[in-house]
Amino acid sequence: MTDSCCPEYAAMTRRGLFTGVALAGTSTLFGSTLLTTAASAAGVARSVLVVVSLRGAADGLSLVVPHADPVYYSARPRIAVPSSALLAKDGFFGLHPDLRPLLPLWQAGRMAAVHATGLPVANRSHFAAMEEVEDADPGSSARVGWLNRLLGTDGDRSPLQGFAVGGGVAPTSLLGPEPFLAADDVDDLRIAGDDEWDPQGRRVRSLQTMWDGAPAELGGAMRSVFRAIRDLQPVRQTPAGPANGASYGSSDLGRALQTAARVIKGNVGVEVLTVDHGDWDMHTNVGTLEWGRMQNLTKQLGSALAGFFTDLGSHGDNVTVVVLSEFGRRVKENANVGLDHGHGNVMFVLGAGVRGGQYYGTWPGLSGQLDSDLVVTTDYRAVLSEVVAARFDVSTASVFPGYTQAESLGLMRSS
Amino acid sequence: MTVAPQASRARRRVLGGYSRLVVSRFTYGLTPGLAKQVRSRGGATDWFEWQLQPEKIRDRGVADLAGWWPGLAFSGADAWNRHVSEVQPGWTLMFDYQRWLLLRRIKTRRQVHEVMTEFWEHHLNVPANGEPFFVHRKDYGDTIRSHALGRFEDLLQAAITHPAMLMYLDQAVSTAKHPNENLAREMLELHTVGRKNHTEDDVKNTARILTGWRVDQFKTWEPFYDQAAHATGPVRVLGFSDPNASPDGRAVTRRLLTYLAHHPATAERIAHRLAVKFVRDDPPAGLVDRLARVYLDNDTAIRPVLRALVDSPEFRGSKGSKVRTPSEDVVATYRALGVKVKRPTGDKSAAHAILWQTGSLGAFPQAWPRPDGLPLTNQAWSSPARMMASMQVHWAMGGGWWPKEDARYRRPAAWVPRYPMRFDRLVDHLSRTILHQPATPVLLQACCEATEIGKRERITRDHALIRWGMPRLLATILDSPTFYTR
Repeated sequence: MTDSCCPEYAAMTRRGLFTGVALAGTSTLFGSTLLTTAASAAGVARSVLVVVSLRGAADGLSLVVPHADPVYYSARPRIAVPSSALLAKDGFFGLHPDLRPLLPLWQAGRMAAVHATGLPVANRSHFAAMEEVEDADPGSSARVGWLNRLLGTDGDRSPLQGFAVGGGVAPTSLLGPEPFLAADDVDDLRIAGDDEWDPQGRRVRSLQTMWDGAPAELGGAMRSVFRAIRDLQPVRQTPAGPANGASYGSSDLGRALQTAARVIKGNVGVEVLTVDHGDWDMHTNVGTLEWGRMQNLTKQLGSALAGFFTDLGSHGDNVTVVVLSEFGRRVKENANVGLDHGHGNVMFVLGAGVRGGQYYGTWPGLSGQLDSDLVVTTDYRAVLSEVVAARFDVSTASVFPGYTQAESLGLMRSS
Repeated sequence: MTVAPQASRARRRVLGGYSRLVVSRFTYGLTPGLAKQVRSRGGATDWFEWQLQPEKIRDRGVADLAGWWPGLAFSGADAWNRHVSEVQPGWTLMFDYQRWLLLRRIKTRRQVHEVMTEFWEHHLNVPANGEPFFVHRKDYGDTIRSHALGRFEDLLQAAITHPAMLMYLDQAVSTAKHPNENLAREMLELHTVGRKNHTEDDVKNTARILTGWRVDQFKTWEPFYDQAAHATGPVRVLGFSDPNASPDGRAVTRRLLTYLAHHPATAERIAHRLAVKFVRDDPPAGLVDRLARVYLDNDTAIRPVLRALVDSPEFRGSKGSKVRTPSEDVVATYRALGVKVKRPTGDKSAAHAILWQTGSLGAFPQAWPRPDGLPLTNQAWSSPARMMASMQVHWAMGGGWWPKEDARYRRPAAWVPRYPMRFDRLVDHLSRTILHQPATPVLLQACCEATEIGKRERITRDHALIRWGMPRLLATILDSPTFYTR
């Protein structure tokens, strides 16, 4: 524990806790005064970064099509996206037409794509590649993710700084010494039994009695729980439904991003959110624009991200979204109208600080052999470190140990 | 405030400090029944010795479990055929394997054996949730169980050449021309001598030695030895060297594994890992050195190392130093509440739902995605999300609300040994039953706060506590810091 966090815990007096409990139980009784107190007790986000992971290795060559590379069409006679259907076309690339809901963001310069990105060395195992991408610290045996290291760059140990939307097993990127929260829904973040049947807050008081003096890791974690329950109150008071007439579409990704938006609008100091979306593992039935799994998931992705920024409104001015996947897929389609495990992929960056409306990266040229990959020309950490540097004003060496970027992509405006 | 005055009548006996420590550290949860077993065996030391010979312990309740999930009887080609024909997809077979493990941990009388099986399944980790090695994953676990209290050398030989491991770490597709280094690297770095004790050349030579161990994937799924795939020629790994002239590399593999099992760096690594799991996160070097010496002096036998560990002053002084992992927490909750889990009949059955409960705490059993196995340190399992999830499980089970189907919970009235009973004495009784220690003043105060019942209040059969308040009381005890450690 660092010095800077101790006063916070010391200040978390019994009385402060009971205030939180009262809010959780019978908030309407007390109104906005106490709410204001709770809100001011929470931290202030330096910036907000949302990392959307497309699980199962999405096909970047369908999401951002290199229409001017002739190998693309010869290697994919059945599943290639026709050039005439593409959106936001430049001389070489174009967006999958089912990303249409994102077109206004692209045209407003708030969305960009970086192609031929990925791990420096191909890793075709889903689990191992996710680990490697999210650990982002090759050669280290410590299991600490890059987002956890990012959270560790300030003195704040608030558990509210990181939030894994989806609960369950958190992504590797968030694991590490900095505490974070994980839940499907904000309303799941509560102490079981601290409910409307317990208006006096007896449950939390009894827990506090037992855990007040508890040492070491467990005691710290429990104190983080008490603090999170208290400080999340403004988020709970934020309406769960979308604002500004936003529509996320009906998908798990839409629901997860809606939870993310609610957390961000609550303005309690959350800096990093992770959202997983899958299954993009399409060994079969990638399909065409009319049928198949690609068009279906791409529609979900486009609607959910567009709905997210609409819902956020001006809250989105401080929010950057990165969309990535553990690896890409082969250039050539297989016998099952599908694509096997490849290497290079596309990444999207949206929102605050992005120099959008354009495609980045160095195109390696496609080769149409049976086992050909999209060759990686941009280390995925180049994209992430430009986002981190522009939005968080920290040394990227502490977030991506051992990585030095050779040349800037110019993807982000400095804030 | 004071605990209830000494009363001789009907006070539940608990094991003393050292016995309590041995039994709680080496089982999935200390219960009154287990304490009785320990006493009838003449105390913790004799009980531990008895547990080290699992084949002599009757364990009928566990034998019955196998029939609960018929798919577990299938492995290899059968499991694959059932997977592709969608009779039982591989991941659901592995869910059943994970459930079977959790139920074993609840029910087995061979607790030390089961704890050590889990320990080695992590040390030689092959995740349960992966394709295609799931086809041999249960057999892999059974293989580890059969060696879990034997010699590490035998365990290592069996695990490294097992088809599940060969497939998981790409040995099954390695060739003489391009030896795949995946298993070789992890075997040196994780399973034996450990990081910084070997070079890249050691990895390359190990990879050459291991070539030839194949699996007939997507056909018969049987392991076989392929002489054409074996890379011959002189090899050197640390202090081991061999002409490796025969196209059949099985003998040189055996010699290398024997060498590695007896290497002092392996001894230190095994000793350290055992000490982290069973003593503390930062075990003193002196303890690790002594355990490593015992390991080497006893031809890599595991039992003498465990005896030395529980007999050490470092172990004796380590009360409360280890946090329960997610699966340990869930299993201990079932044991502490005495929930009787029955053969599952549907998705909501407790024997099925226990897997989702465990996953909600942050780690499905035996599903760690990397070769290095589940982290053993406290920090890994002390996140706010885990604490909230644990409290959710304790609350739902303390109330008997979830999972409810095919499970029998004790009725609230049955928690009270006699009526009427003073509340402080009841709390003491429940503390002894669930936490296996007398109630502390802090616990009593917390129980009073949670239930709004005074210390000296008389609990009768029609008291509000019995009618509706017992879930709050049980959850409070399950959520005490003591229950989160083992």
